[in-house]
Order: sequence, then C-alpha cells, then structure tokens
Amino acid sequence: MMEASRNIKRQPAWHIFASEFGEATLNERGSGEYDPSFVITRLGAKINRVIVAGLLERVEPRESANGQVMHMGQLRDPSGLFYFSAGDFDPESAREAIVDLTRSLEEGETMHVMMVAKARWYQTDEGAVYTSLRPEEVVRIDPPRYAAWLARTAAATLERLDAHEKAMPSAAEGPAAMRQAGVPAPMAEGLAHALAHYEGASVEHYKLHVLQALDIAEGKMASVRTEPAALPLTGDEPSGGAEDAAGTSGEADAGAAMTALIQTLDQGSGVDYETLVKNMGAKGFDAGVADTALDGLLDEGSVFEVSFGWYRLVE
Amino acid sequence: MSSHPYGDHVALVLDACPEASEADVVAAFRQYEDEFLIPPQDSIHSIIRTLQVNASPSSGAPAGRASAGKAPRPMKSVERFDQLSGDDQNVEITVRIVSHNVRDQTVRGEQRTIAFGLLEDLPYDSASPSTRWEYKDWAPKQELRSGSIVRLEGASVNEYQGRRSLNVNQSTRVVVLEEGSAPVVAPGEPVSIADLPEAGTVCVVARVLAVRPDVIHRRDGSGTIDVVRGRLADGTGSVGFLSWDPVELEVGQLVKVDGATVRSFRDTPELNFGRTTTIEAYHDASFASVGELEAASELSIAGLRDGARDVTCVVEVHEWQKRTFTREGQERHLWSGRVADPSGQCRMSAWSELPFTADDLPVAVRLSGVRVRAWQGVPDITVDEAKQVEVLKATPWDATIDLENHAVEVDLDELANGSGRVGVATEGYVVSVRDDSGLIYRCGECRRVLRDGSCTDHGAQAGNEDVRLRLVVQGDAESLSVFVGKDAALAALGLDMDRLRAVIEDTGAGAWVQSLRSRWLGGRVRISGRLLVDDRSSMFMADGFESIEEDGSLIATEARAAWGVA
Repeated sequence: MMEASRNIKRQPAWHIFASEFGEATLNERGSGEYDPSFVITRLGAKINRVIVAGLLERVEPRESANGQVMHMGQLRDPSGLFYFSAGDFDPESAREAIVDLTRSLEEGETMHVMMVAKARWYQTDEGAVYTSLRPEEVVRIDPPRYAAWLARTAAATLERLDAHEKAMPSAAEGPAAMRQAGVPAPMAEGLAHALAHYEGASVEHYKLHVLQALDIAEGKMASVRTEPAALPLTGDEPSGGAEDAAGTSGEADAGAAMTALIQTLDQGSGVDYETLVKNMGAKGFDAGVADTALDGLLDEGSVFEVSFGWYRLVE
Repeated sequence: MSSHPYGDHVALVLDACPEASEADVVAAFRQYEDEFLIPPQDSIHSIIRTLQVNASPSSGAPAGRASAGKAPRPMKSVERFDQLSGDDQNVEITVRIVSHNVRDQTVRGEQRTIAFGLLEDLPYDSASPSTRWEYKDWAPKQELRSGSIVRLEGASVNEYQGRRSLNVNQSTRVVVLEEGSAPVVAPGEPVSIADLPEAGTVCVVARVLAVRPDVIHRRDGSGTIDVVRGRLADGTGSVGFLSWDPVELEVGQLVKVDGATVRSFRDTPELNFGRTTTIEAYHDASFASVGELEAASELSIAGLRDGARDVTCVVEVHEWQKRTFTREGQERHLWSGRVADPSGQCRMSAWSELPFTADDLPVAVRLSGVRVRAWQGVPDITVDEAKQVEVLKATPWDATIDLENHAVEVDLDELANGSGRVGVATEGYVVSVRDDSGLIYRCGECRRVLRDGSCTDHGAQAGNEDVRLRLVVQGDAESLSVFVGKDAALAALGLDMDRLRAVIEDTGAGAWVQSLRSRWLGGRVRISGRLLVDDRSSMFMADGFESIEEDGSLIATEARAAWGVA
C-alpha cells in the first residue's frame, strides 16, 4: 500500500563479482522512456545498479566519432574483469575521479577502486552480448575496505547460490512456486527469467570465486594462488593445445605462439591487439609477423574478433 | 626460484619483459599480495603492463562474454498480442487474466463446462498500454483466475470474422506467475482477518470488540449519513468496520459476516457492510473471548498505521502541554506531547483533559479506542475523550524510557517499507554521497534551502548558513535518502563551522564532496533520527551519524558459518 505511492524507488546497488556480471546475457527493459533496464545474471540477480571494487588495471580515453571522450577501463576482482566507460553523459564528479585515477595509474601507482555504477547491456549485430558499467560514483579505497567488499560480496553471492539451488526444481512453475520452495520473494522473479534463459548453464565456478574471495578477505593468500596456464617460453616451443607446428615455417611458429598467447591471456573477454603484439615482440616476432599471424588465424577461423581490436580463440 | 611461491608467474613476466630483473618481479608480486590482496594470477597483467612502459594509445573496447542469442524455441514466444497472426497454433505469452467466467455450453451435442473472459498482454510493463483479447478456455483450467498473471504455453489464436481471440486448450500449459490480488473467495467460506485481501468481497467470523454510531458529513455539505463503526477480531488480528446500514451488534457478540467489502483507508484496511452484506450470530464455544482478543490486538507504537481507529495500546507519556486557541469564537483546548514504548515514540494529542497532568510525568497509560493520524508521515495518536485513557501504576516494561537516548534499532529494509517513525536508528551501506552535500543557505522565514540566493516564496536574500550532508544508505534491497543535519555532520567530520568553511574554501566544493565519498562510499554507517514519509518520497533526517569500522576477515568468517562453507 505504502509501496505504490513511492513511485520513484531507487534501484539497489548489488554486491556482485565480475564473473557473474560478465557472464550475464539476459536483459529486461521497460518500453517507457524512463523505465529502468536490468541485466539478469545466471543466479537471477536482476541488476540495474552495482557496487563493485577491484584493482584498477587500465583506463584510457577514447575519442568517439562525434568527438565525445569516453574513459574506458577495467577493474579486476578475484573472479575476473569489470569493464567500465564514462562519457559526457555520466556524472561529472565520476569522470573527474576517473581522470585523477588515470593520472595516478600512469605514474605507476597500484590502487583499489570502488564504484557504484549502472549496469549496461548491449548486443552486437552478430548476437554477442556484452555487459559493462557506467560509473556514478568512483573512489579509491584502501585494502581493508576492499577486503570488506570481497567478504560482503561473497556473502551476497552465497545467498544467491542458495536461492538458485532452491529455485531449480520449480523452475518451470514460476515465481509463485519458487517462493513456496523457500526462495526469497525479491529473488523469485529474476530467477524465473534466469532459469529459463540460461537453461542449465553452470554456476559451479561462482562457488570457487566465493571461496577465493573469502580466503583473500581472511588474508590466506597462499591458498588463493593458482598456477598460470602453460605458456611457451620461446617462440619455437608451441604448447600442446596449439596447432602442430612440426615442420616449421616461421609463420606456423608465429601462429602457434599467437594461439598460445590468446589462450593464456584471455580472461573471458578476449585479448587486445596491443597486448598481443607486445607479447609476440617479447618472443622475438616483430609486429609485422604478429599481425600476419593474427590475420591468418582469423582467416582460418580459429580466432575471432569479439569487438574491435579484441580477440578470442574459437572453442 | 624456491625462495618465493611465484615461480611460473615470474617466468611468464620475464618472458614478456626480458629487460626486467627477477628480483623486481618477485618484489612486485609480493607487494601486490601483501599490500593489495591481489594473488599472482590476478596481478600478473598489471605487472606486465607496468613493465611494458611505453604506454601508447590503444584500443580499449569494453567487452564481455560473447554468446549466441537465445536458442530458437519450437514455440512462438511473444510479448504482445499484436505480434500474433491469425493462424498461430503454438503460442507462449504472459498475460493478466482480467476476467474469468464459467458457463456450460453444448459442444457437438455434448454438455461441457468452458471458461471465457478477457486477457491483457504486457502485465509487467506499466508504461506501455496493454491490449485486451478475449479468450476461451476449453479445458477449463483450474489455474486461471481473475486478477492473476500467468504464462500460457501452447495456446492458439482463433480468428473469426477478423476478430482474434486466444484459445486455451487441454494441452496448454498454464504457469501461474502471480496469484490474483482479488482471490476468488467462495461465498460463505470465512477467511481469517490476518489474511484479508487488499480489496474484494469476503466472509469473516469474528467477535465484536467495539461498536458505536457515527455520522459522516457529505463532502459537498448536502447532509449527513448515519453509519455504524466498530471493530471485529479473531485469533489472527482485528479490523475496523463501517456499516452503511443500521446494524444491531453488541460488544462481545460472535458473528459471521458474509459479503463484506474490504476497502483501505490510508494505510489501514477496513470492512464495509452494505445492503448485500449478511450478518448472523455464530456459535463457537472455543472462540477467543473479548478479553483475549483485546489483549492480542493491542498495538505497539511501531505497529501504528495512518488511519487506524479503535486502537488499543500502552504508552509512557513524557511531555504534556496544554494549548489554548480560539476557533469560531469559542475558546478551545488541545493537549499534546510525546509518548514512547519500547518499539518507538510518537506524538499524542487530546481534545479533552486527561486524568494526569504535566507534573505526573512520566506516566504510563492504557489507551483504548483511540485514532491514528499521520503528520509528515509519522503516525500520531489522537485521543477524543478522557474515558479512553486509563492511568497505570507502572509500565509493563522494565524501566522508564530515556526519551533523549531512545532510538529503537530497526532493520533498514523494514524501515524503508514502513511508515514514518521517530526515534529510530538503523545501519546500512553508503551507496551515494550527493553532490549537494555541504554548506547551504536557508530562507530566514521558511527555512527552505535557497537556490541561487533566492527562496521560491520569499525572494532573494542572504539567508542563514547551514550544513547538510545528503547520502543514500542501503540495506539488503531497500535504500533511504538520508539528510544529515548540522550537528551530526560536524561531529562526524570532526570539524567546527569555521574549520569546515575553511576546508571547503580550500579544496573546492566538488573535491570536498569527493573526499567525503572516499571516506564513506561503500562503507557501513549507523544513522539515528526520524523518518518522514509522504506521498512522493521518504526522507531520513539524521541527528546521529557514525561510520562503522568493518573487518573483512570477520565478515568472511561469518559468511562461512552462515552458509556452511568450509
């Protein structure tokens, strides 16, 4: 009764890890001009706004076709990367904060950043779905506050995992049946959409990310370390997964090294061109060879360009 | 490489950046881990980037996980009726059942029961106009009820002389997404008072707790209507009633009321009796007595709702003042003051002299049959007659309430969903520090904040300087718009007015607000004060504001315990 009269209810900021947010491919948008839009995750979180934190890995200003400068960047948490962009239409204070952080990052500082941001969702013509963030408020935080965020987000994710598990048996019967099964009322609608859309998509890795975050929050760093994926140390030792390069022309070597690099460096969203060329350079392949190798892999269809300048292996 | 745990990671970095020294790389990994809680698999990217110094402009397109679109379903799934064509046979659509009627019909010589009515598309989209279609349910399905929202899977479109309608068949699956808010209550089947719907026609079995004649004045001044008001209760709760027809009821009587309509006045549901309502005596020896029901229907201050009548509660009066004014040439008196119970505090006013004075305070009283009206969204108790008040020897709770420090702890989500309250405290996370936090100037006459040195009602002026912080504090899912007043703000900042002015002058207003964000955004805070609610918004006026230090390791341990993860 009271609810209805408060027509402009603020959308809550969800505590969420990058993996759950980044893997969301479902959205819901009202048709009215001011209707909020939502990203719905595999765990049924119906998200309009988030509060996230992580290591600021990069920020770059990019000029768009109409002369607008977008500050694009990424935050890393233990589960993966958040991508954000802030342009002329975003709050000035957020843009200013990002510009300040860019400066510190360029000076080589390491920093945790926390942001409250709007969830964005878009689909390319090919049907690929991406999520990203539009920051509303951005601050640099100290490690204790990062640890607290990790722990809270782990707790929130555990709660969603629990609701997801309870909702599964009644997936086909809708929100009313889910509430009967003990799913908290605010989660039921999102879960009904999520279970239908993601049909059986795995959520097991979210548990792993939760455990890692809890370990980090408790300072147990040693139990969080994982070994890096095998990477050839020199250009002529392609790793197992790569195309067989025995017989070896330089080009095949380059192709194999490129494949291995993408496999190793890809955190779920592809690897950018610049990083690939630099790493190829470190292996003794110059930029021209790297470029040709990448073109070759694109042509044969073993690599695809997820968005301009970003590459992934075709699985 | 055995002296550090980063062997393979270091090798990878050195591979990418041959000119770097191993010791530096190890030190970098260690620093990331020890100081920034970043494990090597996560810090490696940053370390490589830092070492590959020449930062040339690059492409930084945001990207997420690529995925193919939804797999096509064999069923045609649509949102709106206009997406359907006349020959669609296997349709999935979510609709609201507007009406549902049952009738018997002869189909090919066979007597069958079918249901028909109206459906509306886009039930969850209040912004776009919904289209209505007729439907026929040949099954008929038990799940279809008026007012509910359902997903129909495998319905078919029927087109007859250019008019389209939807057929629900035996094979159609009906998924109930939301039960109707106006449930079909079988006539004569009583519901308990706690389960009364927000609207609709009901039958209740209840005991009369109060009954009195009342008069309603027509708004247009054309006369009055004699009505009967009162209160009914059963073991689950109590509800007020209003009868438009004369009824013979006595306090204590047990009755079965059929065909009463539920209406909500302000925030309080009420039963309306009219011509079609039947009231008959009911016999049930085990039904709770008046005394038991009255005790059970006693409310706490936190449970008061705007518009409630015949309220019984026990409060402690802490302030009591008499005011005298003249209305229509007649001198009248109004007594008012502050009252409290362990659940909260509010104001109380009385139109006649009560059996205590300001000298007796604090005094515990039992109130019965009083009304609740809200002012600025905070419920106030109104006492009409002295006989509604009984002075108690002592409070039912342990000690006298200390009103100055009486802040009742309330969960933030509960607070945000409820009505206005005074004397409450809650905790949550700061999810926004608004840009208009800081120094403001208020109108000397109405205290409203000046915009561009001018008040909307009282014009341009210098105004009075004040301090205000505007935050949004969030609980689990709800949030409160919080205004931190001058004293609480200065205390939280550890500054006096002069120092604050100097600091803002020094850093600039924008950078100063950003410094508040750095301090509080994402952090936990405790606020105390009062919550004001009106039709459009709610505001928490905080006279207390403090930051709560959080220990990530402790929260992590609690989370493990709560969710049973090792």
